[in-house]
Amino acid sequence: MFQLAMPSIIEQMPRQTIIAILLLLTACGPSRENRIVVGSKNFTEQLILGEIIAQQIENKTHLPVERRFYLAGTYICHQAILGGRIDIYPEYTGTALTAVLKEKPSADREKVFAEVKTNYEKQFNLEVGQPFGFNDTFAIEIRGEDARKLGLETISQAAPYTPNWQAGFGYEFMERPDGYKGLAATYNLHFADNPRIMDLGLLTRALKDKQLDLIAGNATDGLIPALDLFVLKDDKHYFPPYEAVPIIRQETLTHHPEVKQALDDLAGTISDQDMRQLNYAVDGQHQDVKQVVREFLNKNQQ
Amino acid sequence: MSHPDTRPAIEFRNVSYRLNVQGKEGRELLHDLNLEVQRGETLVLLGRSGSGKTTTLKLINHLLAPTKGELLVDARPTREWDVIRLRRMIGYVIQEVGLFPHFTVERNIGLVPKIENWHADRIAKRVRELLQLVGLDPEISSRYPRELSGGQRQRVGVARALAADPPILLMDEPFGALDPITRAELQREFLALQKRLRKTVVFVTHDLREALLLGTRIALMEDGRLLTIQTPEEFPTCAEPLAAAYTNAFGAISEDP
Amino acid sequence: MNLWQFMLQNHTEVLELTLEHLWLVGISTLLAVLVGIPLGILITRWPALNKPVLGGANIIQTIPSLALFGFLLPAPWIGARADRLAILALALYALLPLIRNTYVGIKGVDRAVVEAGRGMGMTGRQLLFQVELPLALGVIIAGVRVATVISVGLATIAAAIGAGGLGEYIFRGLAMVNNQVILAGAIPAAAMALLADVSLGWLEKRLSPR
Repeated sequence: MFQLAMPSIIEQMPRQTIIAILLLLTACGPSRENRIVVGSKNFTEQLILGEIIAQQIENKTHLPVERRFYLAGTYICHQAILGGRIDIYPEYTGTALTAVLKEKPSADREKVFAEVKTNYEKQFNLEVGQPFGFNDTFAIEIRGEDARKLGLETISQAAPYTPNWQAGFGYEFMERPDGYKGLAATYNLHFADNPRIMDLGLLTRALKDKQLDLIAGNATDGLIPALDLFVLKDDKHYFPPYEAVPIIRQETLTHHPEVKQALDDLAGTISDQDMRQLNYAVDGQHQDVKQVVREFLNKNQQ
Repeated sequence: MSHPDTRPAIEFRNVSYRLNVQGKEGRELLHDLNLEVQRGETLVLLGRSGSGKTTTLKLINHLLAPTKGELLVDARPTREWDVIRLRRMIGYVIQEVGLFPHFTVERNIGLVPKIENWHADRIAKRVRELLQLVGLDPEISSRYPRELSGGQRQRVGVARALAADPPILLMDEPFGALDPITRAELQREFLALQKRLRKTVVFVTHDLREALLLGTRIALMEDGRLLTIQTPEEFPTCAEPLAAAYTNAFGAISEDP
Repeated sequence: MNLWQFMLQNHTEVLELTLEHLWLVGISTLLAVLVGIPLGILITRWPALNKPVLGGANIIQTIPSLALFGFLLPAPWIGARADRLAILALALYALLPLIRNTYVGIKGVDRAVVEAGRGMGMTGRQLLFQVELPLALGVIIAGVRVATVISVGLATIAAAIGAGGLGEYIFRGLAMVNNQVILAGAIPAAAMALLADVSLGWLEKRLSPR
């Protein structure tokens, strides 16, 4: 066989050192049984939801919770939970359906939830928890003054005006199958120029400042009432439902079944209105997320 | 049918060697060589650079393969030999020595015995024997080549070549890189060694004095051809023009080692 | 709170991200070693393969890292898991220094030593394992060193596709516009690269023939 004539240095290195080094390298796959890691995407609503989940678990189960927020998008969160780097994170049923499972969008709320729940369990060993209670669907927003001036209430009514408007959307909305392309086709939207692509956080500002005339924001955006923005009704029911749900690793539930109970207790406790208020408290009033969540959970216990 | 012991150890039959560089035919380094090396003799290949003497040597242990003709070692064509077997029964000493820098002297000398799977004790004993044979202090066995002088290194090189007790020894200008005093020392020691061991030696050199001192026969080569073979006694009076030129070039010649 | 206090307070997370980072770098470098060194040995034996192998590895190196991550995303099995993808991409980047240094290291062994070994009847395999590789080891380790330091840096970008590691702190800090968080990721990563460079450099010196 082969016999590698090793230089004396390696022959001298004590076996223990070599074993120690190898162990260090292999021990790098995380094997932390006793902590719960909660993840979230990197916008305000997600940070709030993540914090709600985290505090709820801390309060009800007294398990140590680690927060791994600001993950930059759906794909990254999905990868993180598949890789076991996070145990729970808040997702939206519509996003799970189209962006993760890559299925066609559908408007039926119950069907979407059922489909996501079964497939996540089958394909990924992930449990889809009970909805928190609000529907953060895409909101096609225009300025309040334009809505009033032109008497617009629905997207269909606004469609004829689009050739005079500049639109702005976020990256994900432009690329997703349930995003811009489908919307423009369904409602016959014809903007004169291509939509500008900007960061979600900057879109509302730009709309207010008249750099944009129509954006796709979130229905639960706290700044909507504050900046006098108007949400056009999705009369053709183009957008699938985006109910917020917790996604949890099966393994985590097996080791800590009490987590399921803690999360179920949150089911249906956050309405659209609630979410908007929470968002506004953080975005508009610049309050600390932890503080806002603490107050919200206290109020709910009473 | 000749008695096995009188057959030549090495026999060149119309051997030619032509370079082959990337599929294209190159220069012919050796042309139609016919030569016999008898057991126990020291045949010196003498010639200038480019005369083909090193090529001839390398054909014997099949570092090069003949492009024409047949080369027999121990009455068998080199083509039919298992190359590894062949090389392990031939000791090889080169000018640069080529000791393994990462091996101690002991490991260097014991190389062939080791790859021939000798028992560790047998190897250690053999190494001690050889160090004595080449006149080196046994404490040198734990040193590394870089700690040795040129003369010591070549002594180790010779010891290494003799380790598995091969019947044949090939030496390519082994003392060429040494200072004259060390060279003379090693030449004397080689002579003494040969008297004891009686190996079949093919020795390449461009130095006539060395050839006259060490050889039992001298084969003069030029331009890839064998010009003449003479004994050391005959050589100085040989009529062959090149031989005469050599004799003149080296001036007064002393036969006394 | 200064950076040191921040890192102490979040020490579990810092440690976890560091271990993830080490995992990405360690496995990918190991893969590159297992593929690159034999390839390097191969091209010393078959010079005809020299150009295609080195050329191929060179081309991979010229692809911008983020682009390579992107190319591999739609690939079946590999693209399904971000850490798998990152490990493959990092391994590909580490190939060129390893193949090249193995080749150069072996070619650089004293010709007289190789000739003596061959002339004495060592088989190709014996020559490779007892002479050429041990003598080329210093140069090969230098290749591992370069590959590792590059990997530590590239692995920070892997967080952009969700593979975890210290890059996650950096991207998070950018999203939060918080310098401390950025540094909590950047400084351990830089320290890791430095440590790898120094320790492998020491090993390289020890293993080089004097």
